[in-house]
Amino acid sequence: MAKQYYSPRNLKFLLHEVFNAKELTNLHHYKDHDNASFDMVIDAARQIADNILHPAYIEMDTNEPQLKDNKITVHPAVKAYLKAMGDAGMIGATYSYADGGQQLPNLVQVAVSYILSAANNGATMYTGLSAGAGRLIASFATQELKDKYLPKMLAGTWQGTMGLTEPHAGSSLSDITSSAKLTETGAYKIKGQKIFISAGDHDCAENIIHLTLARIEGAPKGTKGISLFIVPKFREENGKFVDNDVITAGIYHKMGQKSTPAIHFIAGDKDNCEGWLVGEANQGLKYMFQMMNEARIGVGLMGAAIASAAYYASLEYAHERPQGRSLMEKDAKNAPQTKIINHPDVRRMLLLQKAISEGGLGLTMEAARYADLSEASANQEDKEKYFLLLDLLTPIVKTFPAEHGIRSVSEGMQVLGGYGYCKDFPLEQMARDIRITTIYEGTTGIQSQDLLGRKITMQNGKAVMLLAQEIMQTIQEATAFDDLKKYSETLQKELGRLQQVIQHLVPFAMKGEYNLFLADANLFMELASLIVVSWQWLKQAIVAQKAILSNNPQGDELSFYESKIHTMKFYFAYELPKTKSYATRLLDTDVLTLTTEKELIF
Amino acid sequence: MKILVCITNVPDTTSKIEFIEGNTKLNTASIQFITGPYDDYAVSRAIELKEQTGGTLTVLNVGTAETEPTMRKALALGADDAIRINAEPTDAYFVAQQIAHIAKQNNYDLILMGRESIDFNGGQVHGMVGQMLNIPSLSPVMKLDLEGNTAKMLREIEGGKEYLEAQLPLVLGCQEPIAEWKIPNMRGIMSARSKPLLVVEPASPEMLTAVSVFSLPPAKTGVKMIAAEDAASLIALLQNEAKVL
Repeated sequence: MAKQYYSPRNLKFLLHEVFNAKELTNLHHYKDHDNASFDMVIDAARQIADNILHPAYIEMDTNEPQLKDNKITVHPAVKAYLKAMGDAGMIGATYSYADGGQQLPNLVQVAVSYILSAANNGATMYTGLSAGAGRLIASFATQELKDKYLPKMLAGTWQGTMGLTEPHAGSSLSDITSSAKLTETGAYKIKGQKIFISAGDHDCAENIIHLTLARIEGAPKGTKGISLFIVPKFREENGKFVDNDVITAGIYHKMGQKSTPAIHFIAGDKDNCEGWLVGEANQGLKYMFQMMNEARIGVGLMGAAIASAAYYASLEYAHERPQGRSLMEKDAKNAPQTKIINHPDVRRMLLLQKAISEGGLGLTMEAARYADLSEASANQEDKEKYFLLLDLLTPIVKTFPAEHGIRSVSEGMQVLGGYGYCKDFPLEQMARDIRITTIYEGTTGIQSQDLLGRKITMQNGKAVMLLAQEIMQTIQEATAFDDLKKYSETLQKELGRLQQVIQHLVPFAMKGEYNLFLADANLFMELASLIVVSWQWLKQAIVAQKAILSNNPQGDELSFYESKIHTMKFYFAYELPKTKSYATRLLDTDVLTLTTEKELIF
Repeated sequence: MKILVCITNVPDTTSKIEFIEGNTKLNTASIQFITGPYDDYAVSRAIELKEQTGGTLTVLNVGTAETEPTMRKALALGADDAIRINAEPTDAYFVAQQIAHIAKQNNYDLILMGRESIDFNGGQVHGMVGQMLNIPSLSPVMKLDLEGNTAKMLREIEGGKEYLEAQLPLVLGCQEPIAEWKIPNMRGIMSARSKPLLVVEPASPEMLTAVSVFSLPPAKTGVKMIAAEDAASLIALLQNEAKVL
């Protein structure tokens, strides 16, 4: 097992040098923090990751959760992890003081989650789900419900989950049929089934709190008739906890992330399941989407984190493994074998891994910073600006680190050759673990349609214009450095290409030709991702260039900054040119996937 | 019960060590600094004892302003206040003098520290402080319980362990498993900002030693592969290169 799974130096670089976390403490909401407190929080996360999560990463995969006599047993490290996170106050660290949090900026929380997820991605599902479910309660539930549920969920003693998907309704939530009927006590009788519920039941929590979508009797059909309920596994009656008729019907045997059970539960089979309405009736989906957007950023982050762990595992191997001779070796028969890191193709794979994991992390942190600024900026104009930027970037943040993280881990496996495909090294587990990230919280197809169909066009393209301004600012900053000028010009041209594609596609939407508009939304996502991640790399390169010129770094520190600039150059040279082929396809109206001839598919 | 814990600010054990300026200075730019691991055990046990006895806990560090994040961590974990002696801790006698000077003013019942720092690894300071204060000093202490004014301890000795009792005040060098390392919680981290951190100039500038130059061990050489049946080559290498036979 590789010792390193993330780079503390890179995290410090992004947090303090690129995104200037301290600047957030000028906002009233974050005024109680400073850089030292941010670093301490990150160090506490590192301790939890080093001492509990990382040592259990492989074991939790090997010994997956077991369902026996309606009880699910998970690895004991889950209990230690939940306790450590609860004791540290990290599950709800970003919550307001009033809701039991410490108003930690999302930017810092992303750094925390990145460390934990790189150490053991599956285990972080437990706390991520409790934080998400708790956030719904904090945002929309009554004070009474908050007081009842939040303290225990944030302490890690009760587990939160998201009860959305039903057997006949996967991504199509408008078709859910779980029902709720108001009773005299004010509670609702809940009846229905939910599937793929991560951390939906286990023996390391005293209670499981399902944030469940259901229809109240007589509610309108479709998405407008969905309400949100708290449905606990055990409900309180006369000071005692009794069974709430939520039965675990089955456990899914997943390809990866085996540390966390995904279950199928049945609520109200004996007509004895009670739930409590969160917020207003029929507003459930709207509420759930608030959580979903946070969760999407979380899934993207998970992709970047797994890609990071894979990068360091393959980098370590490439430094140690002798194989073959240098391409320039004249006396190949007698020369000793060289380390594989000296082969250009291995370096290409490693650079791609680094570019994806660190570029993906940068992008995620940018989104988190926008989330902080939209939540806490003093004036409404700024709040709206950063909300739009966040809203626009969210599908890209969800998709790029997931889709390209899979590529990145795959290249990492390739570095190890046959060993990478075996259980002796962690790459095969990482390859299985990361695969789910393009599916969780809305597949890549859904994210792509959201990006092109909704985010690009919202408020007459205002969000795109704001993003273009942000990118232009970076481009202008880069032109001040001779070594970066070439890359700033390239990015400006690519921005023009993106605008050209948007101008070509949007008229189809205005004419109601949604098929032509959205058929290749996935390719549009690829195009937009390449440009946005290149922007992030240029941003990182500017900071590195400035540091080299003004701080006189030496040794490893100089190498760190130089490698940032080198990786930016790599991404611009090897990845960014792919925009041309995507643009060619997107500008062509002959969309082959729109054929109605069934036989052409076979 | 007044407890003083002396902590060091040392490079993380995973840091790559580099020297600059003609090998006379550590390149701190890319190094993550942490509380000395043995000191961390001392802090953890001190917090437990403070909670048990309802006493007070002060942390002390001899170091420049860069060490304050490490001190803040101890405050976040539960120390009540901190004292930083504003000087480079390059000489054990000098460091012991500073600690003793502060201790004489404050009458601590218990002074804990790690059995040694993990940068210079001198392991001398606790002994010197005990001598300067004219109180017993013991190290390495693996277990510590208090019963009134009596400390009951387990100490590691060559080839075994010894169980000891002594009256407070004491100076103890600590090591695992005296307590489990603690992780600061969010509330502690936030409250650490408002806890007092007193900076004082060193009491006496006397340093008896100074480092003239550092050197690193030679880099590890590459692995040599030997055929399984070629035992003679293996023995030759173990005799002539590794020099272990």
